[in-house]
Amino acid sequence: MFKLNLKIALRSLFKNKVYAAINIGGLAIGLTAFVLMLLYINHEESYDTWSPDLKNVYQVREKHSFFSPDNEDHWQEVNDSRMANLVRENIPQALAVTRVTADWGFSSGYSVKIAHANPIMVTGMKDADSSFFQVFPYEFLQGDSESALNAPKSVVLKESLARKLFGTEKVLGKTLKVLMWRNDPGTDLTITGVVADPETPQSVSFNALMRTGEEDKVPESASNFHYCQIYARLNPVADTVSVNQSLLKVYTDHQKKSLIKRKLEYNEIYKNGKIPGLKVIPLQDVHLNPPFKLSWIEKLRPVMGISIFLLVISIINFVNLATAQSVQRAKEVGVKKVLGVYKRELIAQFLLESALQSIISLFLCVVLIEVVLPSFKHHFNVQLSFWLNPQLKMMLTQLFGLFSLVTLLAGFYPSWVLSNYNPVAVLKGSYESGLKGVLLRNALVVFQFVISITFIIAIGIMHKQSQFISNKDLGFERGELVNIKTNYDESFAEKLRRIPGVQYVATTTQVMGNAFNVPEEIMYKGKSINMNTVTVSMDALPSLGVKVLQGRLFAKTYKQDTINTVILNEAAANLIDEKPVGKSYNIKDGNKSLVFQIVGVIKNYHNEGFDKAVLPTIYKVTHLGGMSSTNNLLLRLNTSNTGEIMRKVQLEWKQAYPDYPMEYKTMDDIFADLLTENKRFLNMIILFSILSVSLSLLGLFALSTFVAKRRTKEVAVRKVLGASNLQIINLLNRSFLVLVLIANLISWPIAYILVKKWLDGFAYRIDMPVYPFLMATIVSVVISALTVSIQARKAANGNPVHALKYE
Amino acid sequence: MIQLNNIEKYYANKGIKNYVLRLVTTTIKQGEFVSIMGPSGAGKSTLLNIIGMLEEPTYGSYEFLGEDVTSLNERKRIELYRNHIGFVFQAYHLIDEMTVYENIEAPLLYKKVGSSERASRIADLLDRFNIVAKKDLFPNQLSGGQQQLVGIARALAAQPSIILADEPTGNLQSAQAEEIMTLFKKLNQEDGITIIQVTHSEKNAQYGNRILHIADGVVKEDVAILS
Repeated sequence: MFKLNLKIALRSLFKNKVYAAINIGGLAIGLTAFVLMLLYINHEESYDTWSPDLKNVYQVREKHSFFSPDNEDHWQEVNDSRMANLVRENIPQALAVTRVTADWGFSSGYSVKIAHANPIMVTGMKDADSSFFQVFPYEFLQGDSESALNAPKSVVLKESLARKLFGTEKVLGKTLKVLMWRNDPGTDLTITGVVADPETPQSVSFNALMRTGEEDKVPESASNFHYCQIYARLNPVADTVSVNQSLLKVYTDHQKKSLIKRKLEYNEIYKNGKIPGLKVIPLQDVHLNPPFKLSWIEKLRPVMGISIFLLVISIINFVNLATAQSVQRAKEVGVKKVLGVYKRELIAQFLLESALQSIISLFLCVVLIEVVLPSFKHHFNVQLSFWLNPQLKMMLTQLFGLFSLVTLLAGFYPSWVLSNYNPVAVLKGSYESGLKGVLLRNALVVFQFVISITFIIAIGIMHKQSQFISNKDLGFERGELVNIKTNYDESFAEKLRRIPGVQYVATTTQVMGNAFNVPEEIMYKGKSINMNTVTVSMDALPSLGVKVLQGRLFAKTYKQDTINTVILNEAAANLIDEKPVGKSYNIKDGNKSLVFQIVGVIKNYHNEGFDKAVLPTIYKVTHLGGMSSTNNLLLRLNTSNTGEIMRKVQLEWKQAYPDYPMEYKTMDDIFADLLTENKRFLNMIILFSILSVSLSLLGLFALSTFVAKRRTKEVAVRKVLGASNLQIINLLNRSFLVLVLIANLISWPIAYILVKKWLDGFAYRIDMPVYPFLMATIVSVVISALTVSIQARKAANGNPVHALKYE
Repeated sequence: MIQLNNIEKYYANKGIKNYVLRLVTTTIKQGEFVSIMGPSGAGKSTLLNIIGMLEEPTYGSYEFLGEDVTSLNERKRIELYRNHIGFVFQAYHLIDEMTVYENIEAPLLYKKVGSSERASRIADLLDRFNIVAKKDLFPNQLSGGQQQLVGIARALAAQPSIILADEPTGNLQSAQAEEIMTLFKKLNQEDGITIIQVTHSEKNAQYGNRILHIADGVVKEDVAILS
């Protein structure tokens, strides 16, 4: 029986090749999008799962405002290094605590020299104290976790890096010379261990784990800080809630003592709802909860929604076509019923058919995944694989679950409809009952089109917004501006200035791609105002090409410019005064009060993404309250021949810093990087919309074919009565166009709400335009009319005699 | 074998009862060959459908093989279809996706007949109806008469005690129709299968041994044919 049913299923698939192809192909596309998302989710969920011992590893997070993008308090993973001892000494459940350097993002790596080979940049060089391997259970291939970091100036390599550097993992006792910045004399580190690369990704990832000694010390003065990440291994039976309670208490006490030493008032700092905070979170939660950034789940949410919608659209196609096609199978059902077949046997038969189709789609989907995975990996910048996935077993289980779900969703309704046919009616040749489910089918078509039209509207608006952003005036000239990743050094800068084509050499703490915000509270006419401070060199503002609104820029001719003059940006000026030039404000520095004079106001310039508003900012040349370590060296060129000049700059660099490679980026590239995320998102929405629109159209095409077929007799009668072909095409189109129009009406508010939410994420955005809505309506009506007309024309051109002969 | 008592069938439409069948009472014995005749809309097919348990009467009682089947659950009815009743249709209603062989095999599969038994029965039927050469063809590759032969072979495959045929020759040319009717007569006389057919044709009715004349839902005449 099973064999026979399978045969029938295959034969009816072959008989309706086009529809079968639409069904299976559509489902395969829907499945592919969904499975890709599953792969991605599996990858993200696998973070920090490479050892069962990691369950007892926790990250310490402190609530503070240092290095936060908006100068407010946040839970941060980069903490005061004193917290490590605080945890170690006060939490008895803590078995081991380690300090690790944070990823500051200043440089892409450190320069590593082996013997007399050329220096190369190695990424993921992390510095830690001696307890790192007591916390993280890495598997040692060489050396052992107990003693590897016992001595300072030691380093443990990942197997992959050892092979890359030496070609073997037997490297114990060899030395590396590591330079962390360009004029670092270098530190010789002895390799004391090699660890295996874990199978799944790590949130504390490294290629080489060093113990230079930097992370061992704690600053002596209470007003000096060293920031790092802190991880702890807790007793497996430790209760996180109680650990966090005692941490908070210990931390509050610590803050009180520390603030007294720093001559600050605890009650002054922690007021207006601001409270101190220190806690541990399980390592497995770290990847899901990055500070400041959206977590992967939040980033993925729109994609998840879209891929689920795509799958739903293809399932809807499946259901619609299957029920529409059921007219053809009605006779079979009738006959089988009088031959003595149970309803459940019929349901099983039709479920078998949809299972057959979904298994074919699943195979197609696996093939499609292999095809699109490389570009998907590139697009999302993740390492994914299907067959070589360490979680292949889980993947296959998920696929099987998906297959069953799709089969049931797609197959159950049609088989239920079919098996309910009344044999008397269908055997008499009346397919009235075939019209059942028309309402549902129409509702499903409307639903599909709501999704597609919403996509079209979204594309229109998102495209406008991204055009707006890429053409927006940044407030500075990004062309012919180069940023070298290094600190400012007067003698080196002077050498560069001598290269023809170099107009300015300058530095600033705040530039697009590397903005370091330092909060400062100023007193202006008795009011206290929060500002962001930026330290610049004399030439920084002219080299950026900012526009002066009032007053002047810094210049060498004014002696006090290196002492106590400042320039405000427009946002800061708006907070202070309409005409601030010439006025002055105070800042408190311990017991002293420093006076600064405002000499100019510049137009706001952008240095972060367009989702963030430009902060009210004070620019100063002086070191009072500012900082000198910028890691930005700006080069303003007065020629477009960037490559040629940069070669010369490179030569100068090699002479000055032979052991450290130079890294630079043009401001145009940095700007492009800033836009990539949005561009990616837009591209993805475009891709998915094309898929969803074409799937909906395929469904509409197939459905209109069946409707045209079913109305053959009506069309024939009308033709005999004298209807023209055009009138008949109109007749068949009308019912579908009504559906498309209804879908338009529904999708307008939905698209409005969704896109508004997206636009609201931008500090700089366009107003909601109207024309994408109208465009979507016109496009959807025109293409669906064309699709239906293909079939309607066929029906209209048919000879009525054939249709009327039988009956 | 079949006992119908005061069978009524009507459709209520806006409070008005439209009668299709009125007070039909009759008995059909094992081995009879009954033709139901009458003008269009007389209720012939409805009567056959009620006998075949495809429709339920609105009123009245119906005993099949001594069992009241007026309202039967699905399981029981399907058992009767599998073991006792074979249907033959005017439009043949073969399953298009199945070959001749598979069409005949289908009822045996549902009846869960063993494979060797199945093969021998089908071979027997193919042989008897001279369609051995056509066994791997699909219905649309056959003429109307051949399709109806397959339809009858399928009805016989499960070895039913009664065959219900709704205008079995309605779509056929007269030579083919004659062939089918002769076959029916042979089945009735040689194998003792009870046959009830609905027909328009006086000539076809003569192949049987009893005619029920129906008009406006009422049995007007019940004539025996003496051969």
